[in-house]
Amino acid sequence: MLTGIYSIESGKFILDGKEVHPRNQVEANNEGISIIVQELGTLSGLTVAENIFLGHEDRFVKFGIKDTRAMNKLATELLEKYGFDHIKASDMIDHYNFEDRKLVEIVKATYFDPKIVVVDETTTALSQEGREELYKHMNRIREEGNSVIFISHDLPEVLDKSDTITVLRDGIYIDTVKSADVNEDDLKKLMVGREVVGNYYREDYGEKVSDEVVLSVRNVTVPGQIHDVNFDLHKGEILGFGGLSESGMHEVGKAVFGASYDREGSVTLSDGTQINSIPTAIKHSMAYTSKDRDNESVVMNQSIGDNICLPSLDDLANKVHLLNGKKLKSFAQEYAHEMSVKMVNTDQFVSELSGGNKQKVVLARWIGKDSDILVLDSPTRGIDIGVKQDIYQLMDQMRKNGKSIIMISEELMELMHMCDRIIIMKDGAVNGELMRDPEMTENSLISMMV
Amino acid sequence: MAEKTTNKVESTHEETELKKVSTMASIRAVLPLAGLVAVFILFNVLTKGRMVSNLSLALSSVYVIMIASMGVFFIMTMGGLDFSQGSILGLSSIVICYLSKYSIPLAIVCGILTGAAIGAVNGFFYVNRKIRSFIVTICTMFLLRGLIKYLTADAPVAGSMDLINLDSNALKTTLTVVMLAIGFVVFTFTKFGTCLKAIGAGEKAAMFAGIRTDRMKFLMYVLSGAITGVAAFVNSIKVGSVTSSGGNQLETQILIALVLGGMPISGGAKVRFLNVIVGSLLYTILQSGLTMMGLTPQAMQLIQGVVFLVFVAVFADRESLQVIK
Repeated sequence: MLTGIYSIESGKFILDGKEVHPRNQVEANNEGISIIVQELGTLSGLTVAENIFLGHEDRFVKFGIKDTRAMNKLATELLEKYGFDHIKASDMIDHYNFEDRKLVEIVKATYFDPKIVVVDETTTALSQEGREELYKHMNRIREEGNSVIFISHDLPEVLDKSDTITVLRDGIYIDTVKSADVNEDDLKKLMVGREVVGNYYREDYGEKVSDEVVLSVRNVTVPGQIHDVNFDLHKGEILGFGGLSESGMHEVGKAVFGASYDREGSVTLSDGTQINSIPTAIKHSMAYTSKDRDNESVVMNQSIGDNICLPSLDDLANKVHLLNGKKLKSFAQEYAHEMSVKMVNTDQFVSELSGGNKQKVVLARWIGKDSDILVLDSPTRGIDIGVKQDIYQLMDQMRKNGKSIIMISEELMELMHMCDRIIIMKDGAVNGELMRDPEMTENSLISMMV
Repeated sequence: MAEKTTNKVESTHEETELKKVSTMASIRAVLPLAGLVAVFILFNVLTKGRMVSNLSLALSSVYVIMIASMGVFFIMTMGGLDFSQGSILGLSSIVICYLSKYSIPLAIVCGILTGAAIGAVNGFFYVNRKIRSFIVTICTMFLLRGLIKYLTADAPVAGSMDLINLDSNALKTTLTVVMLAIGFVVFTFTKFGTCLKAIGAGEKAAMFAGIRTDRMKFLMYVLSGAITGVAAFVNSIKVGSVTSSGGNQLETQILIALVLGGMPISGGAKVRFLNVIVGSLLYTILQSGLTMMGLTPQAMQLIQGVVFLVFVAVFADRESLQVIK
């Protein structure tokens, strides 16, 4: 809102005693406010330099003609100053991966020394390296006497990087505290509105996983993405996949679920079924939640009910393939309530739900289908603490019920605490495997990732 | 599970917001039906009851539009468009008229197959070659229009007397009602409708939920072409012969009819099968009413354009408008 992406309905922002009311991001920049967003904030089809100076091209215009050379020169100087030498100002932004584009965004948002920089959940989309880079520049901005508004779900990160913390819950102001005065549990309490009781992650160690293999992956290769991946998934096991976001681990999830194009190698279930397409996977009791939740998991502009029933429609139909509206509704309600989705009713559109509730709808869909093998890609990405805990507990419960889970995540903490076994990916190949161990440290994982 | 700490103030606020949205939705749902009644009454008053007394004449063109718009309705539900319907109708009508000299059943089957084959061409380029549907179908529209002109260059293709003798309101009405009834049941009470809506509302997510989206999209174009083949049969018995303008502008008429019926252009979960019925009736009454009023074709087109624009503005689902494929 402050940066003009949304308009204000009432109230005002006051900067240095003056009211600011930006109508768009460019106006906000002129007021000394900029933002780095969670998802992609760069425009494809433009060069790096054009992205950096988007909306401020006027300063390079002479007699109505844009001086591209001057723009590129200044952009190159800025990139060098920031230490991003590997990015070339005149290249198309499309040549660079997600991480590098985020770096370009950092330059874009901070080169003009804004008074306030809003960093909106940018870190959830970044790997460890990228985060370090971002923290460095946040610190620099602070040391120059300007301010950073850091919006994040990641509590240790918030505690570590900020001076004061304001907690919001469901759009309502709760409290502002000094970081030095509080610990993680205090924050959780403020966020959830009550003490977080019970276990957060699963707590058991040393339980033996069954030897029964439910899924074996052999020589799976997706050209340009992953190379010769082999592993077995056991009954009742939570198998973690970790790595940098570009390591190919997300593609492993798609490949296992039969969703990759040009996949080579085999994915075989215990009964010998080959998984080569999504419908086959679903028919044989597999489930998948995507990292790209809004595009690949939930059908946004459709009701919660339809979203939950979608893969189970064949099971819900009668002998002549007719569906009964009441039966669908009660099915959807049953599983939406089981997952305690916060909604008005099941006719509400998924697009109106928060990220956490969307994920609950997806999980309700697969629980309704009674899936035995779940591939969960970044199941807690961009989700608040309360729902995260629900999801962790649900996974633990499923594991105890003999379901097998593949959990792909960029968050090392949840991998370490939830998984029986963690496979670390690097450059599209398996780079190591770790067994569940309370003594495991983040560094041991990171050393395999980079 | 947890998370039952709902804040009272905030939840009531949310509810009023949602109520506002749902009243808007119900207004949108009722508007086409109310419009249909209003337009019908209006024209009866303006023509001093001539419309009621000549109802069968007034509705003579509704059969073709109603049947053909059902196929386009399925396509638009999954977020596609089809501009080739008029040309499909023209070409299928030529096939039916030509073959009617030999055998009526053969003519009907071949007419439907012609439609399906053209639909398959549309579907192939849309799905396999990944070209946007409106570009593909505009191309086939021009291509087939050329073919129709070539086939009818010397003389219109006339149907046999057997074919023309079939023309009766009873047959046309029965055929239309049967087609619509099948369409309604399949769309509303089988997974077919839900899957189509899911593709329109979020194709990628639909794919990850196990729907064979590509196959579905292809088959929908084949089906739509076949349905238009049936409409071509109705058209043939009505007009008896096909000229170079056979089926001209049917595609636009269908599009206007569906939008008048309250169909969101981007498809998705908000479509109702009722859109087909209300829309084609509303369009037909509007057109024949304006004709009975003695308006020139030019003025009629102008009025239709204005009405179309108003309805698009009312029914455009702005959140999902960017997903027309």
